[in-house]
Amino acid sequence: MSLRLRIFMTGVGGQGTLTATTLLARAALAAGLPVTSGEIHGMAQRGGVVESTLLINCKSPKIGPGEADILLGFEPLETLRALPYLKPGGLVLSSAESLPPLSVATGKEQCPELEEIKKRVTAACGRARFLPCRSLGIEAGAVQSGNIALLGALCAMDVLPFGKDVIAGAIRATMKPKVAEVNLKALDLGAACQAA
Amino acid sequence: MANPLLAGTPGETHLLLGNEAIVRGAVEAGIQFVSCYPGTPSSEVPDTFFRLSPDGSYTFEYSVNEKVAIEVAGGATLAGAMSMATMKHVGVNVAADPLLTLAYTGSPGGFMLLSADDPGCHSSQNEQDNRIYARIANLPCLEPATAQECKDMARAALTISRELGTPALLRTTTRVNHLRGPVVLAEPTVLPKPAGFQKNPARFVPIPAFARPMHLRLLGIMDKLRALAEQSPFNTVSGKGTVGVVASGISRAYLADALAETGLEGKVKVLELGFSHPLPENLVAGFLDGLKTLLVLEELEPVLETEIRALAQKRGLTLTILGKAPGPMPRFGEFDAAMVAVALREVTGVAEPKADCACQAPQAAPLPNRPPNLCAGCPHRATYLAVRKVFGDSAVYSSDIGCYTLGILPPLKAADFLVCMGSSISAGSGVSKVSGQTVVGFIGDSTFFHSGMTGLVNARFNRHDILVVILDNRTTAMTGHQPNPGVDKTSLGDNPVRIDIEQVVRGIGVEQIRKVNPLNLKATLKAIEELKDLKGVRVLIAEEPCPLFARRALGQKRTQVAYVAADCAEAARDGSCGDCLNTLACPAFRLDAAGKMAIDPLLCSGCMLCLQLCKNIKAHKGDSK
Repeated sequence: MSLRLRIFMTGVGGQGTLTATTLLARAALAAGLPVTSGEIHGMAQRGGVVESTLLINCKSPKIGPGEADILLGFEPLETLRALPYLKPGGLVLSSAESLPPLSVATGKEQCPELEEIKKRVTAACGRARFLPCRSLGIEAGAVQSGNIALLGALCAMDVLPFGKDVIAGAIRATMKPKVAEVNLKALDLGAACQAA
Repeated sequence: MANPLLAGTPGETHLLLGNEAIVRGAVEAGIQFVSCYPGTPSSEVPDTFFRLSPDGSYTFEYSVNEKVAIEVAGGATLAGAMSMATMKHVGVNVAADPLLTLAYTGSPGGFMLLSADDPGCHSSQNEQDNRIYARIANLPCLEPATAQECKDMARAALTISRELGTPALLRTTTRVNHLRGPVVLAEPTVLPKPAGFQKNPARFVPIPAFARPMHLRLLGIMDKLRALAEQSPFNTVSGKGTVGVVASGISRAYLADALAETGLEGKVKVLELGFSHPLPENLVAGFLDGLKTLLVLEELEPVLETEIRALAQKRGLTLTILGKAPGPMPRFGEFDAAMVAVALREVTGVAEPKADCACQAPQAAPLPNRPPNLCAGCPHRATYLAVRKVFGDSAVYSSDIGCYTLGILPPLKAADFLVCMGSSISAGSGVSKVSGQTVVGFIGDSTFFHSGMTGLVNARFNRHDILVVILDNRTTAMTGHQPNPGVDKTSLGDNPVRIDIEQVVRGIGVEQIRKVNPLNLKATLKAIEELKDLKGVRVLIAEEPCPLFARRALGQKRTQVAYVAADCAEAARDGSCGDCLNTLACPAFRLDAAGKMAIDPLLCSGCMLCLQLCKNIKAHKGDSK
């Protein structure tokens, strides 16, 4: 039977979590894989959590607790919150740059420090990598492309059944040339960052 | 480039959202008329029809509410058009009256209702199961589980409806509406122009004498539909053994993954019901024959479970039927593959596999929450701040459905109770009538047109005592900026027939009206103070566009952003600090590294409300955003 792969993605409204999910799904389809992705939106624009999924060789669009092979976190606190979805020994790729919730930004609540988040995530999974996604996005030309840098890093880890070139193809096929250029650069920066 | 949903080549594969696939299925069936009231998780269906409408060969409208949507589409199908209406599950309650009688009159041109249910209440006030509407209205019910099925079943439901002249129900759930998957396109049907309404009062006017034979006609159609369900390609049998599973909707996807996970593929008998009502009794009875145990997988109510139990009794079958009562499946919330795997192991007696490693799935840590919030610059925040300054906790706040329900969060705390769309005025009237408590009801512009107007007429007629605050942000913000009768502009251009809310309120006979821009705090406070001192039905119209909509559709740019000019820690010590951080909760506010009040210039929308609260906050020129 073909390999089943479940990727859980999480981020904050406005970060482009769903854009990254759709791009990855298009790439999987272009690679000829039976792909299903899922998303929960409705509150996405109002600064809430946005979660999405991508599954290969599965029928379900949903990932239950302990089922995800890979967790992609576009914000470190949300990476930590989504950890229960990861299967034992799973892989975590996360942004290392935080967007504090309002309660934390205004001093009403405390959020774990990045080092603490890294420690907890690393203890819970097989492999964890943290990338400065926002900075990579800004370097590529637009802060929103930071999530594409995370996809680049994922490609460099050789865990997907398709390569970076397939994602690059999906970017070129679906984005306007100027936006595509920024995102292709972000994809490369993310891959290079992981390889380094 | 032409959109593939309208112009895609048959045989091509596209990655589509479930809701986009429904649009394509309708286009392939030859859709001619579409109406809706938007609501998550259905909204991408009408929004896609709207966006593509300049190039489509159909007529589209955003109706003012779900009842109206079904009535307009009902008229269209009576005049021979292939028609559909889309809404979320609770919208069908609003539309139940025309739906049930349209089943009597029939739908000569074809009519499909899309009901998008929301198990798990991702964005709804309840998780009702609308398959039950198929039962009380006598509708065929199709339940897709994949993007491909969304397209194929939308097409099939419309086609069946037209052929039999009876309304059909396409019932989806949030996961199905919002999944993406590959969809292979097929050749669209080209239908002739609608034939026009053919007079036949005995057929179309359900006075009692005619309604009785109409009911008989409908029951006859149910027999024909049952025969179709018996043969439907959407109902399939696979596997073998003495344990059987019947699954419908998205449960079929969870079952497929759970069978693969448990290694039980082919070792249990599976009946997938995509065309689930009316129940194909012969197919199901044949499937049950020889089974010792049956597990029924369906989210929410035990609808199929109950029907299959009745069928087994009728056919003298004595197998054990498990589902919810009795059985391992919950009657609330969503299923997932792991939950189904546990149930499969339970009914088959297959043991849990040994874990590959001793490690456990990580546990959730208690973390600060990230609830959705009113955006920076949202005019609702300004209105709530002013109302709270005048009434504090002394008033009961009757809320309604829209972005503004988010006012429930502290520090605004502007939602004490909520029933349904349009209920703030009428339910608020009831509270004040029996208790004498001061009631302030909040309602948005789209919700006011939806069903708030009738509540206002009622409040006036029955001389209730309520302050109604109409939060008019010039769009339907929560569901994605859909047009409503009051808007100036839509994403496709100007609204030439703008209906003025103030004139509507005046027309109802309310004389105690104030209209303000809520971002002008002083004027808003003055208006609320004046209305507070009056009795009876009073209306405050707080009008200011949603800042997201203003930026995207109206092309408005911010000219200034706020910044903290003085040291607020110092101001707090000398008592001159108004503590805007605690009273306003604007998402642009934060404490900087030194723990001092700051405003994020990227998040500030330039609404300038906070400047009116604190002399230490000032404005300077911002870059255009």
